[in-house]
Amino acid sequence: MDIARITAGLKKGDRASIARCMTLAEDDPAAFSKIAKKLYDPKRMPRVIGITGPPGCGKSTLISQLAPRLAAGGHRLGIIAIDATSPFTGGAFLGNRIRMEETVKAGKIFMRSIATRGAKGGLTESVMSSIMALSCAGYDMVVVESVGAGQADVDILNISSTVLLVLAPGLGDEIQAMKAGSMEIADIFVVNKSELPGADVAKNAILSYLYTLQGHSSKKVTMTSCTKKEGIDLLASLVFDHEKGVDPAEFAERAFRMEVDRIAKELASKRIESVAAGSGAEIGRMLKKGMDPYTAANALLKRSMG
Amino acid sequence: MFMENGKNRKSSDRPIRVLLAKPAIDGHDRGVFVLARAFRDAGMEVIYPGLLPTPEEIVDIAVDEDVDVIAISLLNSSHMAVFRKLMALLRKRKATGIAVVGGGIIPEDDKPELERMGVTGNYGPGTPMSEIIAHIRKRAAQARAAKWKGR
Repeated sequence: MDIARITAGLKKGDRASIARCMTLAEDDPAAFSKIAKKLYDPKRMPRVIGITGPPGCGKSTLISQLAPRLAAGGHRLGIIAIDATSPFTGGAFLGNRIRMEETVKAGKIFMRSIATRGAKGGLTESVMSSIMALSCAGYDMVVVESVGAGQADVDILNISSTVLLVLAPGLGDEIQAMKAGSMEIADIFVVNKSELPGADVAKNAILSYLYTLQGHSSKKVTMTSCTKKEGIDLLASLVFDHEKGVDPAEFAERAFRMEVDRIAKELASKRIESVAAGSGAEIGRMLKKGMDPYTAANALLKRSMG
Repeated sequence: MFMENGKNRKSSDRPIRVLLAKPAIDGHDRGVFVLARAFRDAGMEVIYPGLLPTPEEIVDIAVDEDVDVIAISLLNSSHMAVFRKLMALLRKRKATGIAVVGGGIIPEDDKPELERMGVTGNYGPGTPMSEIIAHIRKRAAQARAAKWKGR
């Protein structure tokens, strides 16, 4: 399959073309950029529902129940589920489909599992490109599941029009809730596994934290139970309510800014790496001269950008 | 091992994507988990969709996930029926570039017919993991060449 065929297939919504395009975005960004040049359209930026939270809190299961309700709102829905790449072997076990298969099949939803491949921040390098591939094929809403994320993994804010932070009872007390990071970026806090003891305590801890936060009135806290199938309809309506308040142009600009920033950094780091790799002897000389590492790095940077 | 974060690499040395599946009414999933772990540790991206997918679902997933290899583990004698169906569906979807590898309890008598269909490997219990991994790598390289033909 060549680039012309992928481009033509995308416009028709062909699944194999979407899939191949996402592979290009991951494996060969230079080739993907040719497709982006032809098809990128900021007006078609889909709504992105970002779902983050610690490992094991039930993100995949929650998505499997939430997705049909989002699709029922008249959206063509795609799901991008991110799992971690092993830092030792480069391999990954992508198991999100185990929970989502029934939903994906019933709702004709396009779903893709993506490995982080060393990216930090809870997302992958290619996530915006994959969203773009879906938008070119006519999808207008994408659910992105971040890798089981910690407090500092806040990149999902930049690519999402609505951010859900999924938590579960027993993860911590109000001290945890006061900490910075993922608690600050969420639009909707979901206490999942609400059938377990301690769910009310968790919800109250979040609420009391929110009262200390500026702009808290727009933030929502809700409870869901996937085993009892409770609270999912309410959650879907909270997502739609939040989406109504999102300015599409502002969101498209935010997502665009993040992607330009990422690509520029990637290109710059490649140039610096190629200069640094070819300057083994020079680095030795810099060290002998007694140059400090800041001056040395600046000298290399100047040359690679010049 | 140092992880390079995928910079400056060609698509040929990108992680192999494998769909590992157990179709038909076969719940013996110990073997498939051992394989999943071994493939992951060999640097592959392993997609596992859970128990009991139908051949139709396997093909749908393989296309969406753009995998290089479909690896099927079967221990309940349904291999001939499953593979026949699977290969027919792949042809129908024009996804014949994807390599199909089998394993589990597969009698010697059935192997030539499976090979004719394009199902290779067909490993039984006791096969060294290294042999299976080497075979997956070989088939994945062929699948990639077919995938990107004409680019």
